[in-house]
Amino acid sequence: MAATDTSPSPSKGTQPRTGDPTIAALLTWLVPGAGHVYLGRVPFAIAAFVVVEGLYVLGIVLSKGMLFEYLPPEMRSRFAPALAPEAGNLGGILYHVRTYGYGYGFPRPWPAQMDLGTTLTAASGLLNMLLMSRAHFDARVVERQPGKPIGPALAAGANLILPGLGQILQGRRVRGLVIMVCLLSLFALACLISDGANLDRERHFYYWAGQFLLGLPAMIAEFVNGHPLMTEMPELVDGGIVLGSVAGMLNILTMLDAYGYSEALHLGEDPPGSKDEATTQKGVHA
Amino acid sequence: MNLLVHGGLFLLASAIIVLISCFFAESDDRRAFRIYPKRLLRFLGGCGLVVAIMLVIEHTFASIH
Repeated sequence: MAATDTSPSPSKGTQPRTGDPTIAALLTWLVPGAGHVYLGRVPFAIAAFVVVEGLYVLGIVLSKGMLFEYLPPEMRSRFAPALAPEAGNLGGILYHVRTYGYGYGFPRPWPAQMDLGTTLTAASGLLNMLLMSRAHFDARVVERQPGKPIGPALAAGANLILPGLGQILQGRRVRGLVIMVCLLSLFALACLISDGANLDRERHFYYWAGQFLLGLPAMIAEFVNGHPLMTEMPELVDGGIVLGSVAGMLNILTMLDAYGYSEALHLGEDPPGSKDEATTQKGVHA
Repeated sequence: MNLLVHGGLFLLASAIIVLISCFFAESDDRRAFRIYPKRLLRFLGGCGLVVAIMLVIEHTFASIH
């Protein structure tokens, strides 16, 4: 992300106002939408709260709060849940851990919609991280200038729908297509060599989280062929898990690229990594 | 055969990791592609060095022979 002056600036409009970006982001982390209430954008804050927390609550209902029972007993430390994508929604995960924790201490059958439920809670965490980045941006920019590309959080979020989509929406088609082909190919190869066994959250709790960062393609692959019944693991399953996780984590890098590019254009700065103004201007008008 | 497959998967993953990192480091696509070969070589060289160090340490301290 581009370096910016984070000091509060005077309000330009009647309702929305600028504020401290760090406070806005931290408030959003704790309670989805709270950062936007702080910025005077109450209707947006209410909508964000309903969507993000609604996903989390629905996920808990479907999975009966049993997500952390996926962890084997030896991994059930106090901070083990903090490495799950749900940690993006701090209020949600704190409620989850406090209310359901690691269950009753004995194995129970998983609910029928366990996979969908845990995917929804994870999606809530990721969505709230995007909301935090949006609050951080909105704290610095009150009025968006017409003609600028899509907002940073939206550009980053588009890469969760399809890797590279954010870059394509910004007009950087070559980059977007290369990202799309590379990451989807890597992920497809990962699923292929491990026969889909890489995608089960019960089998690979933390590696699942890494692969989940690829977004919608990973979710679709999981629900199509992510829970195969097998008597023994494929020989290359470890390689598949690693490659899938690499694809997911690289998608975070592409989201940061999309975020930084849009942010710089909206703030009137050079995009990150640009060496000279001439190149920058070429990129802007491409 | 197994070593070849793992080596191939490693090369593929390395090629994509370095390409995406080039995109992240450079906002201009042409410059990103230009610096790619040098970065890939440096990445592979670095990984080779780590492998060599690990093998030496394993051979020296963890060998069952």
